Amino acid sequence: MGRLSKDALVAIFLLLFCGVFLTASFHIRETNYASLGAEVWPRIVLTVLTLLSMGYLAQSLRHHGGDDELPPRGALRSWLHRYQNAFWCFFWFGLFLLGLPYLGMLIGGCLFVYATLTSLGRRDWRGHGLHALIAVLSVGGMWALFTYGLNVFLPAGEIFSMNWVPG
Amino acid sequence: MIENIAAAADNVFELHNLALMILGVTAGLIAGAIPGFTIAMAVVLTLPFTFGMTATQGLSTMIGVLVGGLSGGLMAGMLTGIPGTPSSVATTFDGFPMARKGRPGLALGIGVWSSFFGGITGAVVLVTLAPQLARVGLEFGPWDFFMLVVFALTITSSLSGKALLKGIIAGALGLLVSAIGEDEVNGVARFTFGNDNLRQGFAFLPVLVGLFAFSQLLSDVQDRDKAAKPLMPKGTKAVRVEHRQAIKEVLRRWVIVLRSSMIGVFTGILPGAGSSVSNILAYDQAKKASRNPDEFGTGTPDGIVAPESSNNATEGGALIMMMALGIPGDVVTAVMLGALLIHDVVPSPSFISEEPVLAYSIFIAFFFAHFIMVTMQAACLRVFVLITRIPMYILASVILAYCAIGVFALHNVGFDLWTLFIFGIIGYLMRNLGFPLAPMILGVVLGDIAELNLNRAWSISDNVALFFTRPWSAFFLVLAVFSAVFPWFQRDRGRRRWTLFYLPLFCLVVAFPLIGMGGTVRPVIGTGLLVIGAYLSWRRRTHTPAAGT
Repeated sequence: MGRLSKDALVAIFLLLFCGVFLTASFHIRETNYASLGAEVWPRIVLTVLTLLSMGYLAQSLRHHGGDDELPPRGALRSWLHRYQNAFWCFFWFGLFLLGLPYLGMLIGGCLFVYATLTSLGRRDWRGHGLHALIAVLSVGGMWALFTYGLNVFLPAGEIFSMNWVPG
Repeated sequence: MIENIAAAADNVFELHNLALMILGVTAGLIAGAIPGFTIAMAVVLTLPFTFGMTATQGLSTMIGVLVGGLSGGLMAGMLTGIPGTPSSVATTFDGFPMARKGRPGLALGIGVWSSFFGGITGAVVLVTLAPQLARVGLEFGPWDFFMLVVFALTITSSLSGKALLKGIIAGALGLLVSAIGEDEVNGVARFTFGNDNLRQGFAFLPVLVGLFAFSQLLSDVQDRDKAAKPLMPKGTKAVRVEHRQAIKEVLRRWVIVLRSSMIGVFTGILPGAGSSVSNILAYDQAKKASRNPDEFGTGTPDGIVAPESSNNATEGGALIMMMALGIPGDVVTAVMLGALLIHDVVPSPSFISEEPVLAYSIFIAFFFAHFIMVTMQAACLRVFVLITRIPMYILASVILAYCAIGVFALHNVGFDLWTLFIFGIIGYLMRNLGFPLAPMILGVVLGDIAELNLNRAWSISDNVALFFTRPWSAFFLVLAVFSAVFPWFQRDRGRRRWTLFYLPLFCLVVAFPLIGMGGTVRPVIGTGLLVIGAYLSWRRRTHTPAAGT
């Protein structure tokens, strides 16, 4: 069997996704006080989505062998290299979210910006200094604007919890 | 009405509001001028700042950003040949050559003043047409609203790229996302998979920022080398705008301004077709109508006037749809709708009559923002040149942090940040897999409206035929079907015989619901379309040699 195209894989994923959600739609609690149950609309949408995904799968199988065929296995490294900036951003953002309850928005945000800048940009000493400065000024500025200007309580974090509550 | 206008003017011209508008226009001008930053992204990022403001202040600021963004795109296009936003692509065709010929100040001036006159025309049409359309909207029943949503999603999918199927899938995914959490009618939780955070569903702003801004930023820094370089080539200089000469040139071409503005307004009214479409349409029409079409592309003022008039007028059209019917025409108006919802204002056909002060404030703000735009353009040129020296990766990293802070500020809920992250990944994957994001965003916004109207329709009558037989429902259904076929029509036009009958068939089919609407005007229009459709069919059958099947 030939290799599947990227579109075909996406279509199969969508079909599986529809399957999971359709199954879940049967666990939606039924009520007897509304003319239309809560499960009806999602099922309509899911039916449409399933039909569309089937059409997408058929279309991608018909155009099989086009430009969108998956790269050979050896190309994984170049693929990772191509998308490395996006991976760095996701990685640091994920870490920032995990650390948010402990580090808070100010410290966590500064670290996130510094780490992202350093991953995407220059990594010499000058770069480190510049990135640290940008991180502190930008996140500090935004933090101050939201905290004092817009009276938004941003998470302080457990480790560096600051007792001086603004306002 | 006069009291409402006076109260709205009071709100808009209040000092604090004016300052916010100036800030908004300035931010829009700069954001629009930076290649890679779309107007929608600028408006999305403005939203968190508006939480603490009144509805008038928030919307005035966002309208400022919108108008600034529409006009900012021309700066980059003219000075460097790289359009700042998709809505100024056609401006570059003649703006850049004119600037290269040694008249950058005149090119910028013509662009700025064309934007101004186009925007003012759009504002006038907005003020005139929105209340009329809202009156028509009051005739709509839930069946009609449901079909209007179907039409909005279909046309957005068909206009958002080559892949119609991917567009419709994206729209359906958006509808599904909006179905997660408790439904509005029964209060029953859906698709929570045991996660209590999902009981309330996904908040609109994190989904929007994730899908649109987060994924856009990541796409902007995808090329590692490009991301580390300054945004513009070194040597980009601010120039002095030749206002007086530019005004003369634009006014001399008032027919182009008017025609392009009308193209812009009516493109804006169509859901999904924004300024990125209208500027090219207007350029194309100006070229076709010109006595010297060969001059287009060499730096003719006509080629700047047409796209710049139309792109600013387009948002007037999109605002008409949002304010009159509560249906956003594009991503920008979807965000505006979100802003209204944050302030507990639900746009619907009764919006203008129930919230007249706010409605007129939007009209006045859109009108006045164009004056601020002209004033601020020259000042922003210098800032724009400074910003273009910053590499993209720095801007992207800082804005990502800002997205997080802004999204958290909405409800002070940590789960919103995870929503942002998840939808950032989904948006990035969709972009890379060729799925348009606009239908998905509209799906998220319109999902609740569709479900609510389906419920209302069902509680009135369980007759499914009403969705197809009521005049307005049938009208929107016809539009939806023909807009779905439109990509194939475009592909096969001039090559396949069936495309000859697309327009006549459309006239014939759309005539019936119009005739069925009652009154005088609409049946007359319907009969006219019937006659035109029959004539075109006859003419194309008898006067066209057989082509492919």
